[in-house]
Amino acid sequence: MTAPNFGDIVETTFVQSPEQIDTRKYGFSEIRVSGSIPAVYHAGDVVHLPYTSGETSTMEAVGLAWAAYISGVGPA
Amino acid sequence: MSPNGKNNFGTFGQQVDFSPVKFKPIRAEFAKGSTPGSINRVNRESTWARWRRGYELATATSYTNAFDYSFVYTIPVPSGTPAPGGNQPAIPGVFKGFPTNNKEFGMHWAGVRTAGSLRFDNIKDHNGTLASIASVTADDDYYYVQLTGDWSVANPLPPPLYVTIPGSPVGLKAINGEVLEDRVITSGGVPITRDTINPATQRRYGYTQYVLIETYPFTGILKLKKAGSVEATPDRSLITPASIPPNIGRFLITGTRYCCSCQDFNQREYAFMTNLDNKKNEYFPRSNVSSVKPGRFEIMSLKGKVDNNAMTDGTTNRDMQIISPAPQYNLPPTITATSTTVPGTTRDNPGVFRDFGYIYLRSTANPSLQGANAEGMPDYYDYTSSNNQITSISDYWTPLLDEKRYCKHIYAMKFAEGVFPPEPSDIPVEPDSIAEWEQKLVKDLEKQDRDQMYEDMRQSLGYMDVPPYNCQAPMMMPMMQKLFNIPAQFVKMQGFTMYDKNGQAYVPSQGEMPST
Repeated sequence: MTAPNFGDIVETTFVQSPEQIDTRKYGFSEIRVSGSIPAVYHAGDVVHLPYTSGETSTMEAVGLAWAAYISGVGPA
Repeated sequence: MSPNGKNNFGTFGQQVDFSPVKFKPIRAEFAKGSTPGSINRVNRESTWARWRRGYELATATSYTNAFDYSFVYTIPVPSGTPAPGGNQPAIPGVFKGFPTNNKEFGMHWAGVRTAGSLRFDNIKDHNGTLASIASVTADDDYYYVQLTGDWSVANPLPPPLYVTIPGSPVGLKAINGEVLEDRVITSGGVPITRDTINPATQRRYGYTQYVLIETYPFTGILKLKKAGSVEATPDRSLITPASIPPNIGRFLITGTRYCCSCQDFNQREYAFMTNLDNKKNEYFPRSNVSSVKPGRFEIMSLKGKVDNNAMTDGTTNRDMQIISPAPQYNLPPTITATSTTVPGTTRDNPGVFRDFGYIYLRSTANPSLQGANAEGMPDYYDYTSSNNQITSISDYWTPLLDEKRYCKHIYAMKFAEGVFPPEPSDIPVEPDSIAEWEQKLVKDLEKQDRDQMYEDMRQSLGYMDVPPYNCQAPMMMPMMQKLFNIPAQFVKMQGFTMYDKNGQAYVPSQGEMPST
């Protein structure tokens, strides 16, 4: 197993079997999609978001946003 | 609760059609001491019904249809802050649509922020020490997690755990209410899963999941709630409540965060302003008198003018105004011989707010005694707000165990994840009727999934609003702020990068579209 990259999903529960994909319907109409996956992220996914020194992490950005709100500063 | 008898979650009985000539006195009883009142009963029964309906929704064919809009939201930096370099501060997630005929544009949109979005391995004290879990103590109901570092009044926990408010002894604790998981072993490491093996022991690591109830910024302590906790055991099982505290030495991450734009989650009612589908819908919002309570609602505006459009273009950002009861209209906290009430208390916007499925607490047990607390405005355990920002979600989402907050859509997503949220312990108390109700539910939904769903899908696809263009809409903006847990003004259209069905990224603010 290779090491996941930034933003990769490391755990997911979204697994559709070929049978599920084959039998998807809107009422009586079968659905045909060109992609093999209907979306990238799903409910229940766990992502890998490591930040290195010098980068602004999501946690820090959320903190900056709330601190700016307290100070009456808006987004850039 | 619904005037047309649909989506009747709570009473399991036939609804009386609204008619102004049939007004009758309110017959419901309010709670007295330990006796549950009618509102508590409705909340309890509706919780079970939402759990049950969520299962039906998750197992329906329609769930696997692709109403999923994946995104990565880049948080904008405040004005005057240098642009972040390297990897951008990102919130990955997905909008999941649930077709409905109870909404004008045919779709409930649920939002999910993936687990691992916020990580504690970037939090440092003033010496540069990383905030891993140093120790854990406990009482009957809570764990108290001591974070590594030198924390004091002069050096409190950093934002967003604690945001100092100049001139105030109490700061903002924006992260309270988040679900936390001890899934990072080393700083910068990959979050562990249920299957991750500890090479030193050749057993699975396992991890825990708790709700953060309170933050003590000057001592570096996090208060975690035992009730509703989850543990992934070395046997790869999920058990609740967790049998162990968070593991010492690890770093915390946030768990999956859910929000929804449906009536039950938002506690907001809809009105239909058009007859797009030629159905007999309510064209004017109204509330039953018995369900109008003092509450809050939000107004979206663009350049100072009210703007309730369902969607905007990729670059238009609106402002949110929160209307809530003014504090001077609250009853005095303590009754005295000269206590008076203030008439004209700010009321709900009739037809917009309803109290179904939320939690509020009366403030007293003995309102008639001098010196007791007055039975005034309820304390809202929905969210706290200040200056038109939702400053915290204050009803402490318990991820499991008798949750009164999740709507059926969130329950459906949890079922679909395979975590199987436990059945709420309090089911409706009329065994015969609930068995009958459940059988009818399955039968009706089977028919609906077979026949009516086609019509619903067709209608929803024809009229639906589309993420992220609807993220500035009145019913979406409060949800987006709760989902991202950042001030509403930092939820900007320019921050969205979307992914189409083939996984290709497109940026709506730059005019890009999904591939066809």
